[in-house]
Amino acid sequence: MSSTTTTIEDANPLIKIENVTKRYHNVNALRDFSLEIPRGSIYGLIGPNGAGKTTLLRILAALLAPTSGQVWLEQQEVTRSPSIIQRKVGYMPDFFGVYPDLTSAEYLEFYAGIHGIPRQKQATVVSDLLELVDLSAKRDAMVETLSRGMKQRLCLARALVHDPEVLLLDEPASGLDPRARVELRELVRTLQSMGKTIIISSHILLELAEMCTDIAILQGGQLIIAGDVEKVTHQLGGGRQLDIRVLEQKYVSQAVDILKEHADISNVISDNDTTTIQADFAGNDEALHHVLADLVTKEVGIVSFAPRSGGGRLEEVFMHITERNSQS
Amino acid sequence: MTFLALLTKEMRLRMRRERTIWVIVAYILLMGLFGWLVINSSNRSTSTGINNWSSLGYLLYTLLLVIQIFLILFITPAFTSTTINGEKERQTFDLLLCSQLSTFSLIAGKLLAGLMNSLLLIAASIPLFSLVFFFGGVSPLQAIQALTVSVSTALVAATLGIFCSAIFQRPAVSTAITYMLVLLWLILPLIIATMAPPQPPPQANATANVTMQEPAPQLFLLWNPIVALMTTFSAPYSYFGFPRGNYHIGALNFAPWQGYIVLNTVATGIFFLCSLWFVKPHPILWQRFHTLKNSMTKQKTEARATA
Repeated sequence: MSSTTTTIEDANPLIKIENVTKRYHNVNALRDFSLEIPRGSIYGLIGPNGAGKTTLLRILAALLAPTSGQVWLEQQEVTRSPSIIQRKVGYMPDFFGVYPDLTSAEYLEFYAGIHGIPRQKQATVVSDLLELVDLSAKRDAMVETLSRGMKQRLCLARALVHDPEVLLLDEPASGLDPRARVELRELVRTLQSMGKTIIISSHILLELAEMCTDIAILQGGQLIIAGDVEKVTHQLGGGRQLDIRVLEQKYVSQAVDILKEHADISNVISDNDTTTIQADFAGNDEALHHVLADLVTKEVGIVSFAPRSGGGRLEEVFMHITERNSQS
Repeated sequence: MTFLALLTKEMRLRMRRERTIWVIVAYILLMGLFGWLVINSSNRSTSTGINNWSSLGYLLYTLLLVIQIFLILFITPAFTSTTINGEKERQTFDLLLCSQLSTFSLIAGKLLAGLMNSLLLIAASIPLFSLVFFFGGVSPLQAIQALTVSVSTALVAATLGIFCSAIFQRPAVSTAITYMLVLLWLILPLIIATMAPPQPPPQANATANVTMQEPAPQLFLLWNPIVALMTTFSAPYSYFGFPRGNYHIGALNFAPWQGYIVLNTVATGIFFLCSLWFVKPHPILWQRFHTLKNSMTKQKTEARATA
């Protein structure tokens, strides 16, 4: 299979994956996989089922050894010093893994204990974590009585119990209702603001496009493309979508003419009955600035000018790419 | 620290299950019922030959010991034979491996927690055994020896359960295999003993001290819980029909129950070490093992191709 592999390199990556191959009997879960993950990023691993996302996360958590290749976390090789790595990494698998007969607080206390947190500090750690994941009210509730979203948040709290530098979240939003997804997304952003590097996997692109700073698309154990969301979208031809609203209807045709003069703009759609214009934009931020400046200089009455990453378009691009790679 | 955290969690989980309480209640009731039946039948019947308190004490003591060892052997694996694969089935095993919990602490914690249930049963039966002292015939030292044999037996059954739970993926399979092995351990030597040719009778000039003259049980009976229990006290006769004398191997002179304790300690150690290995194989040794296995497979394939 031939694939387009692009890696946008970071000067000082926190995690470096070099030519990793993982073979299960006769199946290659990962093939010559290389990736660099910058510190402080929310890195999304996207791919269809069987792409190798979970295998990669398990290797990063030092739960699996690669068949060949190396994985570095800062200066440490993961397979050589798993216990050191596990101190720095918090892993949340794609299943709950809970003890139903324990209360939420006891559950976290247990994991705090087996992560070597002193007994006198455990109560504080547990309270802080329950507050962080908004489960303080469920402190004494049995785990089995919690809803799916609550269990997911409890598991996230468990992964954070030893205050790891890196968080590995495997399909964290699967099976959650929309509200729980939004809450989880907010929580992930909060964790990023606390300085944590978060690697999150999903087979739903939209889920990740909304919260990630960087993404890597995987298929059949291979890396298709990786980098920050904007650049990946741009490189894939996904671009951004411009939503423009003008003051009066008379400005619509003028704005459309100006937009069509720009090479980065395509698919300009306007409706004569409304004051809104939509267009696809494939350029960078500087080109975007020129478009806006042009509209303002030529005195088009702009009310709003909103470029946004086209999640829907990204989804199309993802489908197109994965389809292309599976056929070749 | 990590070990204590695991032990606390295990004890919390176990003690919250209704099953734990019911097992203790059923255990005590069963033991009490057998004791009552023995006393009752001996009071009614004078034709059995058990017409003095001392003999009744021996009979009661022997039966309670045998029942206790049976119950321990069949209750202990229930608490340990699903400990490791149960974690895998519950999908919590990876989370344990991701922590600072060492493999030793994991196995030791699980073992101790599983054993606690059996120890609780043994402790709960102590008041029942103390009734035997009213009848006389059994000394406290002999009772302590029997207690040691019981605890040691529980330890072997518990480590065997953990070992099976570490090597078999499915809890139902590991439980069935553990029980099968326990049954073989308990019954097989006794069956062989009944089929084996009888041992020569004690020497004719040795009537003064029966205990000293009695031959030792056949060597294959050395690692049997029932035989070990029966040799912890010197009843005037054996209820199970096998000799109960000491073994004389070279300069060593030891009672069968002492040899049994030594063998149990060795078996416990082996099961424990094997469990450690299967739960988390040593990465370097595991790699060597795989390299060796791969090269052997390659050689076989090449040999087949050449042929």
